Amino acid sequence: MSPARTTPSGSSISAIIAKRRIIVTCGTGGVGKTTLSAAIAVKAALAGKRAVVITIDPAKRLATSLGVKHLGDEATDLTEQLRIVCKKVDPTLGKFTGALSAIIPDTRRTFESFVKSIASTPAGAERVMKNPIFQIFAKEFSGTNEYMALERLYALAMETENGRPRYDCIVLDTPPSRSSQGFLEAPGLLARFFEEKLIRWLAFPANALVAAGMKKALGILERLTGAGFMTSLVDFATGLLQVQSTFTANLKRVMELLESKEVGFILVTTPSPGTAPDLRHFVEKLSQHKMRLDGISINRTLSYLTQKPLPKNPSAGEKLVQELIERERQLIRELRASAADAPICSQLPEFARDVHTLEDLVHVSQALEP
Amino acid sequence: MTQACQRNLIFVIGKGGVGKTVLSQALALALSQTQNKSGKSKKILWVCFEDPSRPMSKLIPRPEGKGQLWHLNLDPMDAFEEYASLKIEALGGTFLSRLKIGTTRLTKTFLDNKLIRYMAKAAPGIHELVLLGKVWYEREHYDHVVIDMPSTGYGVAMFQSTINFSKLFGGGPLARDADQMLATFRDPEKSGFWIVALPEEMPLREAIELDELLRELFPDNPAEFVVNRVFPESTHPNPEAPDQWETPFATDIKDYAAKRSTLEAHNLKLWDQAKIKYTEIGYIPPSQSRDEAELVRSLADEIREKGIVS
Repeated sequence: MSPARTTPSGSSISAIIAKRRIIVTCGTGGVGKTTLSAAIAVKAALAGKRAVVITIDPAKRLATSLGVKHLGDEATDLTEQLRIVCKKVDPTLGKFTGALSAIIPDTRRTFESFVKSIASTPAGAERVMKNPIFQIFAKEFSGTNEYMALERLYALAMETENGRPRYDCIVLDTPPSRSSQGFLEAPGLLARFFEEKLIRWLAFPANALVAAGMKKALGILERLTGAGFMTSLVDFATGLLQVQSTFTANLKRVMELLESKEVGFILVTTPSPGTAPDLRHFVEKLSQHKMRLDGISINRTLSYLTQKPLPKNPSAGEKLVQELIERERQLIRELRASAADAPICSQLPEFARDVHTLEDLVHVSQALEP
Repeated sequence: MTQACQRNLIFVIGKGGVGKTVLSQALALALSQTQNKSGKSKKILWVCFEDPSRPMSKLIPRPEGKGQLWHLNLDPMDAFEEYASLKIEALGGTFLSRLKIGTTRLTKTFLDNKLIRYMAKAAPGIHELVLLGKVWYEREHYDHVVIDMPSTGYGVAMFQSTINFSKLFGGGPLARDADQMLATFRDPEKSGFWIVALPEEMPLREAIELDELLRELFPDNPAEFVVNRVFPESTHPNPEAPDQWETPFATDIKDYAAKRSTLEAHNLKLWDQAKIKYTEIGYIPPSQSRDEAELVRSLADEIREKGIVS
């Protein structure tokens, strides 16, 4: 039995590829987001698009999924490799006119070049990067990876070749986050850091306007943290102040792009009991941001397995699979009922082994739609 | 040396989606059913760091028997305020008399200050520091504190922040606290790290990387490993190695069950090659986990049967 044909064509992956130039996949770790993103890019390339997939996954899973040893900060063109494996899988697939490339940005390098690009002078950038607080910030702040992904996405969307956009399908695989909406919250978190009035207070603590309460608060802070920290903090704030206006303008630009009709979001999930509440929360967050949820991809589903009558004494494993399929059907029914405005755009099978070649990905891209 | 899961502080850590929350709850439940050295029932605290603005979805089931099982979902801003109050009180003496202001009012001035609020919210690492600080502070009131840590990167970052602050605040009272916390985490008599993975390639690999990161931070306190949701072993494993299978898909239930068990055995070679010793926890079927509480109880039974706690 093949998976139920209930996906309306309007919300299929193909329809999303046709409708949006930029597709952002969101979801928690371990749901197959990277594999899905790569498969969407393959599908787009096969449909004639100049596609690129970009992933911020520190585990370098994209390279594994694509079966290549190394992917770097610059786009790697995989079109010819794709053509070779397509011919192997199905000769008619090999005739596609699109292109496929992939990028794993080096977020640390990107963050440094970002600081350089927004600082007013090279010395100013140097000063910010040398600051001990900045060094921790660049490494540890959980919003920087997400923000850098967006900066990179923006740059890719603007790239042109012979007077037209270089890519007509950009798939962004967001960093794995604690919750599905984690990615959406990151830019706001970072923006909070750049609140001008507050940085100003820090940068000019000796300002005559500083109220007595502020002096007391800073006095306590100095007592608790030591004088060395306060010096670094003031220095850091002075650096921030220099890049503040450029940063705010950049962020506004990026958010406008995400809210534009060019961008569609796909929530990637698995059929597990926590899925429905997580989905509702995600839908809420997206609508707060005026972003567009194009569909939900339910990954790692087992109901594609044909139900040959099982032997009279099924093994423990076979019995378990059967139970899992029953639970999955129930959960998907609930999900459909609870998410009327969020159509299921694909239902991807649970693989029997890991996906680690471009050929596997071609198989997966063909299975994206029932 | 006691096993990691029998120590005072137990950090349960691993990649997202491997079942850390339920497994750490099950561990806490299993511990609440054991007795301490003097033969008395124990008091356990289970801690998680979920977004406190969302309704708590992960309630821990009540223990049977006399053991006490508490749970705490920490809000970083609450933890910050509590910690700041404690510290300002401790400043005491000359500093306060010079300012001519009482402790309570001074604390309020500090916590209500816009700049302090801004830094408490936005400064990277502050949340991590105060959350771990709270866990550290609570350890004396319980036989065991089981911590459901955020997934790999965020989890390690929590420890890393403590180290960063210890350096950044050189010499001040905060640096001293951070150093004391680190000494406890480093001590194999006091703290244990339990790395959870699934028998899938990426989680297994990530667990090895996580172990390396933790070793850099706490070299004398090696983590212990558990692999969760292990599929029942097949009586007819697939004779070919997984990368020889033509497509990544299975055809039917029988084929899938055989392939899954073959694949997991193949994946676990990764840990065998790295000479990692681990405990296996079986896949609890849906019929024995109709709700989360039942799943936690089933897992707690297995944790006791496997001798992870005794």
